[in-house]
Amino acid sequence: MQKHRSSDIGGSVLRPSTPLDIGRQAQRQRIIDAMIESCAEKTFAATTITDIVGRARISRTTFYKQFDDKRACFDATLDHCLEQLRELAATAYSPDDAPADAARKAATAVIKDLAARPGVAQLLTGDAIAVDPGVVERYRKVTIPALEGLWAREGGEVELRSDPRLAFGQAQVLILNQISIGRPEDLPELLPEIVYLAVSPFAGHDEAIRQSRLAQEDPDDAATTTGG
Amino acid sequence: MPQLPPVDNPEDLRQWRLPRGRHGLPRELVERSQRERLLAAVVRVTVEKGYEATTVADILGEAGVGRESFYELFDDKLDCTLAAHRILLDDLDQRIRGAYTEGEDPWAERVKKALAVTLEWCAADPEAARFVTVELSTIGPPFRAIFQTEFSRFVTMVDEGLDDDMPSPELARAASLAVGATIARIYEEVFLGRGAELPRLLPELTYGFLVPFLGEDAARAAADG
Repeated sequence: MQKHRSSDIGGSVLRPSTPLDIGRQAQRQRIIDAMIESCAEKTFAATTITDIVGRARISRTTFYKQFDDKRACFDATLDHCLEQLRELAATAYSPDDAPADAARKAATAVIKDLAARPGVAQLLTGDAIAVDPGVVERYRKVTIPALEGLWAREGGEVELRSDPRLAFGQAQVLILNQISIGRPEDLPELLPEIVYLAVSPFAGHDEAIRQSRLAQEDPDDAATTTGG
Repeated sequence: MPQLPPVDNPEDLRQWRLPRGRHGLPRELVERSQRERLLAAVVRVTVEKGYEATTVADILGEAGVGRESFYELFDDKLDCTLAAHRILLDDLDQRIRGAYTEGEDPWAERVKKALAVTLEWCAADPEAARFVTVELSTIGPPFRAIFQTEFSRFVTMVDEGLDDDMPSPELARAASLAVGATIARIYEEVFLGRGAELPRLLPELTYGFLVPFLGEDAARAAADG
């Protein structure tokens, strides 16, 4: 009735409490999910804006309010996937874990998550490289400092035993091969090798072999996957 | 025999064209000449413009071959790209196999020789090296099947060439790690335009290859030896 006297409802239950951009964020997420699905089905190159807005059930106008073009949307999708994996890895171990144990648990959590979400695994290994081979540098910028940070927790410089960039490349080749074979769900079979690669640049071959055995004996010791 | 025009610039593929008019050469030879020029052209154009931006017209222009002849030899741009890729990879495979499997040298020595051959192959023709690595990864879905086939043929080659008296490595997929290290490093250097300097990395690549099998100390000794 007295709608012009808005101050009257200040602090009342009627005051909107939802974040201002919640709708916008939800739309953005729908677009990102649609991008992942479409790329998995028909690759980034063949994906059109029409595909994305169709899957996300939003209008073209809504799409273009969020993203300048298909490539910008793809980049945001990549960042979103990387951030999710980074968070997952960071919560997979406890602060009391020794660095190499933490690395094993983080690597295990990431690999299991990729196995549970083949679309994301395909996007990161296949499509992203096809769109921009330089994208690998972005992955490394997330992965390597995170692992190195585990060993640097007590402060001081980490003395590298081998080049972590090379280890990253090796892991990438193994994962790409597993996806190329068409069996992303079997990615956890690679855990002994992936764990070895996550540990060896920072703690050397012998410790990496020890962690690799642990990963093989008890592949379930890390955090469970986030699922779909 | 008809006189071929003098080839004053062998870089220009069009100079290798057969002369116009009746020359009486067997059709087979004509097609071979066209095919060779098209394969050389697709490598050159793809490396220059990227796979996506490359058109059949670009390839025809570079090769000096007509559109009709192209489609008699290849289905499309992808078919032509993959044909060139296959020839290059078969050549590389054969050279590596020769260095790796011949002779009585101990395994680590044969690995070093095979890696040297690989790096020299890349350095001798950085364009071809870029074509079979960076550019191939941008062709889309067919890339996966090709990558998988080639990766597994190199991994199998490594496993088959192990010395009989070697202790089996701690990691079941040591050969995959070793091949992966080589591919990853070459890809990176080629991507950064440093393909011609790859042979310098021989000690480092040998070390990276051997570590998963032998551990750090033995790998270091073999790589520096």
